[in-house]
Amino acid sequence: MAIVTAQKTPDRQPPLSETSIIGWMQKNLFSSITNTILTVITLYIVYLTVKGIYIWGFADATFVAENRRECYNNSLTGACWAGVIDWMDNIMYGRYPRDELWRINAGGILVVLWMAPLWMSKVKGKIFIGISVVMLYPFLAGYLFSGGSKGLFMQVMVSGAIVAFIANMLNMIIGLTKNQSLVQFLLRIFNQNNASDKTQRNVILGIMIISFLAIFLWQISFNLEKVGWTQWGGLFLTLVIAGVGIAASMPLGVILALGRRSRLPVVRVLSTSFIEIFRSVPLITVLFMATTMFPLFMPDGFVLNKLVQVIIAVILFNACYMAENVRAGLQAIPKGQFEGAHTIGLGYWGTMGLIVMPQALKHMIPNIVGNFIGLLKNSTLVSIIGLFDILLMLRSISRDVPWLGLHREPLIFGAVLFFILCFSMSKYSRHLEKKLSTDNKS
Amino acid sequence: MKLKTHIAGVAALAVMAAGGATVAASAQSTLETVKERGHVRCQVGSPSPGYYNLDSDGNWYGLDVSVCKAVAAAVLGDVSKLEIQSVSTQSRFTALANGESDLLSRTATMTLTRDTQLGLDFMPPNFYDGQGFTVRKDSGITSALQLKGAKVCVTTGTTTELNLTDYSRKNDLNISNVTFEDWNVRDDTYLNGGCDAVTGDKSSMAGNISSFPIPADHMILPETLSKEPLASAVRQGDDGWANIVRWTVYALINAEELGITQANVDEMRDTSTDPNVLRMLGVEGNLNVGLGLDKDWAYNVIKGVGNYGEIYEAYMGSGPQGIGIDREGTLNALWTNGGLMYSPPMR
Repeated sequence: MAIVTAQKTPDRQPPLSETSIIGWMQKNLFSSITNTILTVITLYIVYLTVKGIYIWGFADATFVAENRRECYNNSLTGACWAGVIDWMDNIMYGRYPRDELWRINAGGILVVLWMAPLWMSKVKGKIFIGISVVMLYPFLAGYLFSGGSKGLFMQVMVSGAIVAFIANMLNMIIGLTKNQSLVQFLLRIFNQNNASDKTQRNVILGIMIISFLAIFLWQISFNLEKVGWTQWGGLFLTLVIAGVGIAASMPLGVILALGRRSRLPVVRVLSTSFIEIFRSVPLITVLFMATTMFPLFMPDGFVLNKLVQVIIAVILFNACYMAENVRAGLQAIPKGQFEGAHTIGLGYWGTMGLIVMPQALKHMIPNIVGNFIGLLKNSTLVSIIGLFDILLMLRSISRDVPWLGLHREPLIFGAVLFFILCFSMSKYSRHLEKKLSTDNKS
Repeated sequence: MKLKTHIAGVAALAVMAAGGATVAASAQSTLETVKERGHVRCQVGSPSPGYYNLDSDGNWYGLDVSVCKAVAAAVLGDVSKLEIQSVSTQSRFTALANGESDLLSRTATMTLTRDTQLGLDFMPPNFYDGQGFTVRKDSGITSALQLKGAKVCVTTGTTTELNLTDYSRKNDLNISNVTFEDWNVRDDTYLNGGCDAVTGDKSSMAGNISSFPIPADHMILPETLSKEPLASAVRQGDDGWANIVRWTVYALINAEELGITQANVDEMRDTSTDPNVLRMLGVEGNLNVGLGLDKDWAYNVIKGVGNYGEIYEAYMGSGPQGIGIDREGTLNALWTNGGLMYSPPMR
């Protein structure tokens, strides 16, 4: 007689050694006598390190003090974080006038708000957002940061940027609530959503012009106080240099990479020699050239803003590395892709812009982000030529008389800050890779 | 544009190779340029205690910064009409030569070579420094000549290191140098017992000792290894501007001698009967004519920054931002007290 079970017997629990922590520890940490000894030793070393850091950095540390002597009175061996806290404004904003700090904060918040919709799947019109943040935001931020009286050009650009920003925000709200784009929404309000394309275009254009004029007239009434670049500093300056460097070296790098692979000999030779020369020289040399030698060849009395010189040097330097990254990506694209693009009738720019470059850049995301992280860290070299970026600010704490000799705590603080910045960039690049991965390789 | 950069780069190398120090000989005098621009560009270095320093609000302070402010006050009547540039040691002289700054006020030691070969004019020294040694009191060392075979911590790349080697050779001390890039690390090494003594400028060492955990455990030895007259400098070839800066520095010293302070300068101008005071503050005479400045230039200087003694007290002496060096009996005392601070008569 055969016994037939109609039901499947339930799965048995995996053995305890596979699920519990103790089982895992037994398997991985204490599986043999040697491993047990090694584990104990390692744990002891970790304990000593963490304990040392804890006692120095927290238990014995001073967080509130007027000067270093008070820190010593509290504890001779503990850290003196009070100096770093006292200098926090300097570390973050440099010598920027303390009454005007809101401008830097506003600039930071603006760019975050401006770019936030790019990550929201419901929001429409991402191309508009992307273009406006690259083309218009820099003018608005530049004016916010440096102030002074606006020329006509700046007035136009600033007004344009404000209009674009407001449109962007409205677009985001409408996208999130009604799942529509701003354009569709406006057309519906004016009952034009069934009108001809031409009428629709005129309505939108009219709204744009009216809001531009309104903002333009409004912005004439005020001017921000001028803040010279010598007062910029701290993390703010570091981010400005790195941010502009990243934003500008990317397109320049793409152009150089294409130039290097070009079939036109002049373009190719120029691109190649530019890349090779700038890549063969250390960044610090380029910076020194830009700041000390370059002015000697300029006509008398011609003094170019040192910050601009530095930023240009950083851009040119970084563009070369970017170009090589992009070129590596281009070389990874199979010939079939080019031929495929040609067969559907695309020209050079069509092939590159629509077929080749998106794939090449996607392949190169880890390298490109690695390059950006390098640029952010390299930008601290500008402290050597006397710009008060975050590194020089941190080092200056040990020179300020109340905090004389306090040099370890600021540098540790800076290290942590840089780690957070660079690590988030690296995490973001992993996220981008996953998001853009189309699984055509596995 | 790319090509241009290359050409500029190649040309730069060529000029460097030829060893030519290009001095911009502008048609306009520095005074005119400054007045037109509306502010003085003054060059300091990256922060250095006592001389030029940032406080936690981002303001510059210090002895050399006060000289910058004094020049701004003399020329434009307002200490705030000033742009302070912090320039690295490597590019300090070029930045002055190519016209980026009007005045170099950054603890440059006045030497013959620098005065003659760099296209600079040195102004009267505003601080006399000298190299010395710091030792632990319990080491029993009371004279630098007892440092036989000692390990001495020193920052590298400065004349300090060369002076130490010279001193050791001259006195047959056989000192071994332990070199550092940053004086913070140098001091930490010394405090942790990595060397027997530290050498550096006496002024800065006095400041550093005050920041040690227990300052009373350390002392500076009496010997002075070198002469370091620290002075501001201007571009060579504009004597008018050089005169202005020179006499601004002298005005600070002279004011101390005459007893004019930031607090009593108004009162002195109104009530003093001393012809020297009246001449200097522009009530009588025409001291300003030769300088091309306003009549009350010296008044503005003292009103803006105080006299030399006050500045010294604030940044070198015992003021809250001072590094605590005694002035009495040093070279930096007024000549009437046996020091070297001496202003030619202002008449």
